[in-house]
Amino acid sequence: MAEENITFTLPDLGEGLVEATVLEWQVSVGDTIGRNDPLVEVETTKSAVVIPSPKAGRVVELHAEEEQVVPVGDPLVTFAVEVEESAPQAGIVGRVPTEDAKPKRRVRLKPPTD
Amino acid sequence: MRYADLPSQNPADSVPVLLLHGFGTSFDMNWRAAGWPRVLDTAGRRVIGPDLRGHGASDKPTDSGLYLPEHFVADLLAMLDELGLESVDAVGYSMGSRLAWELALTAPERVRRLVLGGFGPADALAGLDTTGPGEGDSPFDHVYRTVAGLPGNDAAALAACARGQASRPFQEEPRPEGIPVLLVSGARDTVAEGARELAERCGGSHVEIPGRDHANAVSSRVFKEAVVAFLDE
Repeated sequence: MAEENITFTLPDLGEGLVEATVLEWQVSVGDTIGRNDPLVEVETTKSAVVIPSPKAGRVVELHAEEEQVVPVGDPLVTFAVEVEESAPQAGIVGRVPTEDAKPKRRVRLKPPTD
Repeated sequence: MRYADLPSQNPADSVPVLLLHGFGTSFDMNWRAAGWPRVLDTAGRRVIGPDLRGHGASDKPTDSGLYLPEHFVADLLAMLDELGLESVDAVGYSMGSRLAWELALTAPERVRRLVLGGFGPADALAGLDTTGPGEGDSPFDHVYRTVAGLPGNDAAALAACARGQASRPFQEEPRPEGIPVLLVSGARDTVAEGARELAERCGGSHVEIPGRDHANAVSSRVFKEAVVAFLDE
């Protein structure tokens, strides 16, 4: 099994909210957590919520300090997730890449027309 | 009344936990989004989570006379009867705590343990008889302004609810006798002022959550751990 790093950004929490304040991380760097385990507690102007982990994996980096305000779409946490060596490395990981995160591999979905 | 009934994957031999949300929210917003069902599931507890009248997906009358504490209690008892539940551990937040207290007073045999979160003995709704909710500067006005604009909320129903509750201010006596009580509140929660003293007078305990206020104490890990430990005693 190989590992691949995946960065999870602050999801759109709905209701036109553009940012959230990190209240308390529920994990630490080095922790191995399951999908849907509590990841981070954040507060918006409307409520306090616990965001569950979108992935199973090992926490490699937390991108925000507690009490820090994070805009929706900014990096929140990076996981190392196990990937099958033989699995095709398609670029579909359920996230929108940020501008500075270059895809590791370009996947051409249509054959060239020329 | 709409309610969630969430069985535990690893059921313990204990009564279900009834979660009563605060004013202007719902089971989903107050408890589910804050991560409570998962914590209680892990603890082996079945969760019953109603949307109180005027809130969430439940009926929203706009007559303040339909929001007296006894109406809420009657709704809850009807739900427990429908579910065939003899008793529960009642956990409230804010207005939900006041209603959990009323439930324990009205039907003490149905409440095994009582947790009052974000709640104190002061009259949180003082002055509402003369002004509209949200127009003043009291802690409750701030709460009202925060929740009145939330999607799915009906401002007229919430105003009626606030007036109905204000017409029957919380009274500390009589107290629910023989039911262990835990109070939990944020250190900066102005709505819950006096929680520690109320806990002492009830012969119960109080847990303070450092740095938290009325809006952000509910999702705190300290709160969840205190409740799970108290309900397991």
